[in-house]
Amino acid sequence: MAEPVTSTITMMDPAGLQAIGAGLAVGLTGLASGIAEKDIGSAAIGAMAENESLFGKGLILTVIPETIVIFGLVVALLIS
Amino acid sequence: MLEPKQMTRAVIVGHKDILEETVDALHKASLFQIEDYIEDDSGLKIGRPFENISEISKKLIKIRSIGSLLGVKEVAARRQDASTILSELDTKLNELDSEVSVLAEKKDTLEAELKETESLRKELLPFINIDLDLDLYRGYESLAVFAGHVQENVEPAISKITSSYELFYDPKASVVVLFVAKEKSEEVSSALANVQFKELRVPDVSGVPSGILADIEKKEADIVARIRSTDADIESLNLKYADFILASNELLSIETEKSEAPLRIATTESTFVIDGWMPTVRYSELEQVVSSATNGRAFVSGQEMTKDDEDRVPIEYDNPKASAPFQEIMDLYARPKYKEIDPTTLIFISFPLFYGMILGDIGYALILLTLAFGIKKFVSSDAIKPLMNILIYCQISTLIFGILYGEILGFPLAGYHGEPGLIAGFETIDLFASPIGGEMFTYPIHRTHLVMTLIVLTALIGVIHINIGYVLGFINENRKHGFTAALLEKGSWIVVELGILLAVLGYVGMLPVAVGVIVFLIGFIMLVKGEGIKGPIELPALLSNSLSYTRIIAVGLSSIYIASTVNLIAFEMIWEPGTAIGGMTIFAIVVFLFGHALNTVLSIIAPGLHALRLQYVEFFGKFYEGGGRKYDPFGYIRKYTEEK
Repeated sequence: MAEPVTSTITMMDPAGLQAIGAGLAVGLTGLASGIAEKDIGSAAIGAMAENESLFGKGLILTVIPETIVIFGLVVALLIS
Repeated sequence: MLEPKQMTRAVIVGHKDILEETVDALHKASLFQIEDYIEDDSGLKIGRPFENISEISKKLIKIRSIGSLLGVKEVAARRQDASTILSELDTKLNELDSEVSVLAEKKDTLEAELKETESLRKELLPFINIDLDLDLYRGYESLAVFAGHVQENVEPAISKITSSYELFYDPKASVVVLFVAKEKSEEVSSALANVQFKELRVPDVSGVPSGILADIEKKEADIVARIRSTDADIESLNLKYADFILASNELLSIETEKSEAPLRIATTESTFVIDGWMPTVRYSELEQVVSSATNGRAFVSGQEMTKDDEDRVPIEYDNPKASAPFQEIMDLYARPKYKEIDPTTLIFISFPLFYGMILGDIGYALILLTLAFGIKKFVSSDAIKPLMNILIYCQISTLIFGILYGEILGFPLAGYHGEPGLIAGFETIDLFASPIGGEMFTYPIHRTHLVMTLIVLTALIGVIHINIGYVLGFINENRKHGFTAALLEKGSWIVVELGILLAVLGYVGMLPVAVGVIVFLIGFIMLVKGEGIKGPIELPALLSNSLSYTRIIAVGLSSIYIASTVNLIAFEMIWEPGTAIGGMTIFAIVVFLFGHALNTVLSIIAPGLHALRLQYVEFFGKFYEGGGRKYDPFGYIRKYTEEK
């Protein structure tokens, strides 16, 4: 007599996957913003050392890639 | 309000005899910005400074060097009468100069002595454990002396070379002192070289090292005490004369400015021509000031503004007092140009609005409001005041939104979905269903439960804000390059948006899609004509710019989550209210305070920067150019003196 075949289905918890997705969305976009901002930021500081009145422009240019992580955050909010 | 002040270019002409009176009157009135004259082939020459300049600048240099020697700081001080200061300037300055130079010299000598003893001590330290009079190290005819650092005891090697030697070794400092007969010195030095011998200079003093060191220490202590007493003398001199130094520095600076003024003025053999700018409303004041100072002998005339002038006009803001602090935010970016719209008043509305929408918490609003009022009261710096005023405006907006959101330090005030609020019995009221995401508008608004709706809402706010920008851009462009350019460059964006809107309406079946597409294409062609290839490339920015406003909700939520996480850690994980009060209660309160202190700092930075960025990048990008020059009239803002 053959053994009766039994099977268990393992399923990942959808809520967990959602949380992982949200985390990835914020984390990866955060990294991307950081990579983009590091060059702009150091250049802006350099420019400001030469001419302090460039602070405004430097700040703006530095925060432009910030939008990437904001989009990540919004996506994370939509997922969770 | 939406434009910089009207300016007038004026020229003042007169005989050189009255130049000094004219300059004096202009400086006092502080309303006329002199345009520096650059010599060209018109035959006019740059003027020569007044005769007293060398004497005044000599005194100014003296007073400034005394000021920096005494360490005089610029602090708020009682205003002094200019004429009394001026009358006693020479005697007081000489007196002060001699006193200060005596003290400075004394201090210099003492410091030099201190340095000397320090270097002697450094030389002495290696020999400290070798109890040998330093006189015994020198003055031999037939003995060679080696004194220096070695890596290991060299005695075994030396004893192999000769038996007549005297060796002192300090294993702690690994210093060796060795006396051998001169004829053996070569062999000995090669043996020493094997243990990395490094020669030390023997200090040029006599006595046993430990004894000398004690003397040095005593001497050093004495010198330090004397330096301290000199410092105290300098400090008391500072206290006594600080007011005088500040006041006379100011007076002399004013005199120097006046005496140097002719260097900016065009002159001929016997006349002068002062060219410059002032606000139009003060033109009659200028005429009156000049004529009363010169008995009507100088002639003032207003000039027509040319196209070239428009780029050079100094810009003076013209805003109501309430919105004036936001000029700082404008200056941080760039001053408007003369023919440009000055958006200060619009920022006055939108910046606090966005800030408040992001933060929206009663607790943080009250903390920061107290902080801002406190700093404003206790710090009398002109640079801080406008910033604190901006912070106050932002906090008022935060407070209003805090009440709307019903939040205090991350705690909800009202209960919702069975979760209790901070106020017992205060339950959230459902108002109406939101069309998006099956969410419900409530009072108070729970941002965490209305995410989808608020994302759409903030993006819509973005669309409105951006379009205000396009309208302003249209007005600016119309003034600068005429109606057609304005319509093609800025109007085209609005047509494109209209096209997209119509297409969306078509998509949901309210009208044919083709209408939207046609309007969009018309806008697109206008855009290409107006902006060239740059236009279509920037087209997707329309979407990303409006989505960028979703940061208002996103950053706001992150701030809530930080606050409520702090609350969770403090009052659920560490200690729960209602359980026994003990050590953990204190720990929970400490965590609570630290966490919220951190979030308070973040609450200035994050919403502030993001609200600012929405102005600078998304809003200003649509219309603002900037680059105007600051209106800086010839004159001086007195702080320490007054003329009676």
